[in-house]
Amino acid sequence: MAIVEKPLSIGTSEPVLADRPLGVLTRPKGGNGWRDWLSTVDHKKIGIMYGVAAMFFFVVGGSEALLIRSQLAVPNGQVLSADPYNQVYTMHGLTMVFLFVMPLAAAFANYLIPLQIGARDVAFPRLNALSFWIWISGAIFLNSTWLVGGGGADCGWFCYSPNSGVVFSPSHGVDFYAIGLLILGIASLVSAVNLITTVINMRAPGMSWFRVPVFTWMMLVTQFLLLFALPVITVALFFLMFDRLFGSQFFNPDTGADPLLWQHLFWIFGHPEVYIVVLPVFGIFSEIIPTFSRKPLFGYSFVVFSGIAIGFMGWGVWAHHMFVSGIGPVSVAAFSLSTMFIAVPTGVKILNWIATMWGGKIWFATPMLFSVGAVTMFTIGGVSGVTHSLAPVDTQQTDTYYIVAHFHYVMFGAGALGLLGACYFWWPKIFGHMLNERLGKVHFWLATIGMNLTFGPMHILGLQGMSRRIDTYSSGFGFALWNAVATIGAFTIATSLLVFFYNIWKSKKDAPNLPDPGPDPWDARSLEWMLPSPTPEHNFDEVPEINGLDEWWHRKYGYDDDGNVVRIATVEEAAQKGDATNVHLPSPSFWPLVVAIGMPLIGYGLIFNLWLAVPGGLATAGALFAWALEPADDPDAHHGGSHDDHEAPALTGADTNEES
Amino acid sequence: MTDQKEGSSSGSKPVIVVAVVWAVLTIATEILLASINFHPYGASREARISDDAFDFLMYLAAPIFVFVIVAVGYTVIFNRSKGGDADEDGPPIRDHKVFTRTWLLISTALAILVIITPGFTGLDELRAEPNPDMVIDVRGERWNWNFTYQDTGVETQDKLVIPVDTRILFRVTAADVLHSFWIPAFRIKIDAVPGRVTETMVTAEKLGTFADDETSRVQCAELCGVGHARMWSEVEVMSKADFDAWLTGAGG
Ligand SMILES: [Cu+2]
Repeated sequence: MAIVEKPLSIGTSEPVLADRPLGVLTRPKGGNGWRDWLSTVDHKKIGIMYGVAAMFFFVVGGSEALLIRSQLAVPNGQVLSADPYNQVYTMHGLTMVFLFVMPLAAAFANYLIPLQIGARDVAFPRLNALSFWIWISGAIFLNSTWLVGGGGADCGWFCYSPNSGVVFSPSHGVDFYAIGLLILGIASLVSAVNLITTVINMRAPGMSWFRVPVFTWMMLVTQFLLLFALPVITVALFFLMFDRLFGSQFFNPDTGADPLLWQHLFWIFGHPEVYIVVLPVFGIFSEIIPTFSRKPLFGYSFVVFSGIAIGFMGWGVWAHHMFVSGIGPVSVAAFSLSTMFIAVPTGVKILNWIATMWGGKIWFATPMLFSVGAVTMFTIGGVSGVTHSLAPVDTQQTDTYYIVAHFHYVMFGAGALGLLGACYFWWPKIFGHMLNERLGKVHFWLATIGMNLTFGPMHILGLQGMSRRIDTYSSGFGFALWNAVATIGAFTIATSLLVFFYNIWKSKKDAPNLPDPGPDPWDARSLEWMLPSPTPEHNFDEVPEINGLDEWWHRKYGYDDDGNVVRIATVEEAAQKGDATNVHLPSPSFWPLVVAIGMPLIGYGLIFNLWLAVPGGLATAGALFAWALEPADDPDAHHGGSHDDHEAPALTGADTNEES
Repeated sequence: MTDQKEGSSSGSKPVIVVAVVWAVLTIATEILLASINFHPYGASREARISDDAFDFLMYLAAPIFVFVIVAVGYTVIFNRSKGGDADEDGPPIRDHKVFTRTWLLISTALAILVIITPGFTGLDELRAEPNPDMVIDVRGERWNWNFTYQDTGVETQDKLVIPVDTRILFRVTAADVLHSFWIPAFRIKIDAVPGRVTETMVTAEKLGTFADDETSRVQCAELCGVGHARMWSEVEVMSKADFDAWLTGAGG
C-alpha cells in the first residue's frame, strides 16, 4: 500500500478509462522538460526543488548577514542607516529560519521519508506538490516586500507589538511579514499532515515503530510540532494583519489590549520552532554517525524517546524568552525549571552519539566530519542555553549578543552544518555522483572556523553590554575588537559557501570520469541505500519486507557463531535493480501550482487594493475545484503488471507500457 | 535488540585513558575558569548574585563539556579507519544500561541542583529585601529615558544618579512601544511596557560614573525603532551625601 490516491484500474491489461468530469479535465502526463517539474507530484523531485530553493535563500539570507556584519565591523559604521539596518536583520532572520533551514530539512524529509519506510511516494502526492508551491509563492511574496512594500519588515523576527503596529512601522514591511508567514504556514501545515499520514500508514510490511529509521522518527516528531505550533502563530498573525490593515485593536495597549499577548502567542509557536529546526538534524546525526562509525546507533530507543520527550517538553518552556518582561516570580521559577529539564533528553542524545562512535571504526568522510563538528557546536550551544534557564543569569544575557551567539550555535552550528553534512551524505543517492571529498573538507573547516570566529566573540560582547539589534555602537563601549573578529568570521563562512558551490559544479563536471558510486557508496544502514542512485522514479521495484532495525545493513551483513560481523551479500546482490516497469504511480497535476499562485495575489490584494484579491481568490478557489474534479489518474495511461502497491492478483508482465 | 558484550577493541584501557585525560583536562579547565573573569565591571549586589551564578554554572559545565570533547577526541584519534570492509565493523553495542543510567542520573541530579541553587536561591535573593529606601519612576519613550525621584518629584533626563548602598526600587513603564531598562554594570534588566508598571530593585555597592566604565549606563535592550541603539543614558553612583546635595540642586 504505497499510494493512497485511488488506483485507476486493477487486474486487467485493458486500459480502463476513468470518468472525465465535465469532459475537459485530464491529467498531464509528465515528461522531461520544465513542464514536468511544474506538474510533478514525485516526492523526490519536490524534495530537490525544496533543496535548490532553500540554497538560493541561503545565499539571500547570507548576503543580508554580510550586510549586518559589515555595518557592525567598526564603531559608528556607515554601511547602513538604522532604518534599512532594522529591515535587513529582520529579513535575515526570517529568511534563514523559514526559507533556508526549514525548507532544507523539508527537502530531505520529502526525498527520504518514503524511501526510508519503503513507500513509493507520500500519502497525498498532489498535496505534497501543493506544499512546495505554496511555500515558494510565500517565499517570493515575503521577499517582494523589498520591491513593492517599501522595504522589509523592521521589527525583528519576533516582531513585538506595539512596535509592529502601523503607527510605529508605517511601511508595508510588517504586512508582508504577517501575510508572508501566513502563506508559509499553510505550506508547512499541509506538509505536516501529509508526512504524518505517510509515516503512520505507509511503512513497508514488517516495519513496526521500533524499526523506523531515526531520521524518519525525528521528522515525524517535527511534523507534529508544526501541526500544533502553526495554528498558534496563525492566530497571532491574523490578529496582527487585522490590526494593521483593518483597524482591529488586538495589540493596541491604548485601547486596553494586553501588550504581552503577542509575546506569549509568538513564543508558544517560537520555542517549538527551535525544535522544529534542530530535531531533523538530530535525525541526520543519528543516520550519519552510525554509518561512518560502522556500528549500530547506541540506544536507538533512548534516542527516539528523548526526541519525543523534547517534542513534548518544548511546549512548556516558551516563557524563558520573557523572564524580564514582567511576568511574575512563580512563572519565572516554573519556566526556568522546565527549561533546565529539557537539557536532560538533549544531553542523552549527545551521549548516544558519542557512545555510537566509541570503539567504532570511524571513517572520516565529509558527512561524518560535518556531523561530529555539528554535535560539538551543538554542545557549546547547549551549555550556553543552560545558562539562560537561571533567571539571575538570564537577566543579564537576554536581549543581548549572548543570545545571538547562543542561538547561532544551535541554528547554524548544529542546524545548518548538520544539513550541509546531509547534502554530502545523500548527494550520491539524489544525483548519482559523489561530491568531491577534498573540497568538502575545505568547506567543512572554513565553515566551522568561520562560525566560531563569528559567533564565539558574541558571547563576550553580550556579557559586556552589547544589546541585540543595535545598528551601531560608539567606540567608547569597547565592542570594536570582537565585532571586527565576528565580521571576519562571517566572510569566512561566506567563502566556505562559495567552496561548496564550486564543489557542486566541479563534482558534476568530473562525475563522468569517476567510478559510479553505486547504490550504497557509504555502506550505510537504511532502506534508501538499497535503491540505485539516483533513485528511480518508482523507488522500489518491490516493496521490501522489513525484518528489523537497519534492514538494509542486515541484508548485507550477518553474524558468525562468535558474534563477529560477516558479509552475507554484496551490494549488487542485495540492492534492487530499479528496472521494474509498469509500476503504478500517481499522475502529475498542474492544479497545486495554480492554487499556490493565487495566494500571493490575495496577499497583495489585502495590502494594496482589495480588488486585486479577486483574481487571486478566483485562481485559488477555481484551481481547488479543478483539482477535485480532475480524474484520479490519467485516463489514457495503461496500468501494467505491478500490483504490489494495492491488493490485486499479480499479472505476469504482459504489458510494457511506460510508467504512468 | 541484542545486548552484546563490548568487543575486544573497547576493553577497559580506553576507558582508563579517557578517564585520566578527562580528569586532567577538567582540572586544567577549572583552573582556567577560575583565572578568567567573564564579566564586565559589576557595581551592585545583584551583579555579584548574577556573576556568581554564571561562574558556578561554568564550573559545573566544565567537566561535562570536557567529557564530550575528550570522548569525541579519543574516538577521532584512536578509532579511525579508512572505511569499507566488513571485518572492519565496530562491535555492535546497542546499549549499555549502567552507562546510560549513570548519565541520566547525573544529568538529572545536576539539573535539579543548579535549578535550586543558584537558580531559585538567586531569584529569591534578587527579590529579597523588598523594602526600598528610595523609589524612582522610569519612563522609556522613543528614544529617551526619563527618571522621576518619588518623594521629591525631581525629574531628570539622560542621566540617572543614585546613592550608593541604598535599596532602590525602579518602577518602569513606557510611553509608546516596548523598551527594556538595562544597566549592564548592575546586571538588572526589566522591560518597559506601555500601560503597565514593571519593577526591579538594585543596591549599588561601588561609586562610579559612565566615564569610569561604559557599562554604567541605562541601555535600551528591546527593539524600539530607529533610535534603539542610541537610547542610552549615563549612570552615576554617588555617596549618600553627594547624592543629597545633587538632589537638592536638581530640585532647585
Ligand atoms: Cu527603547
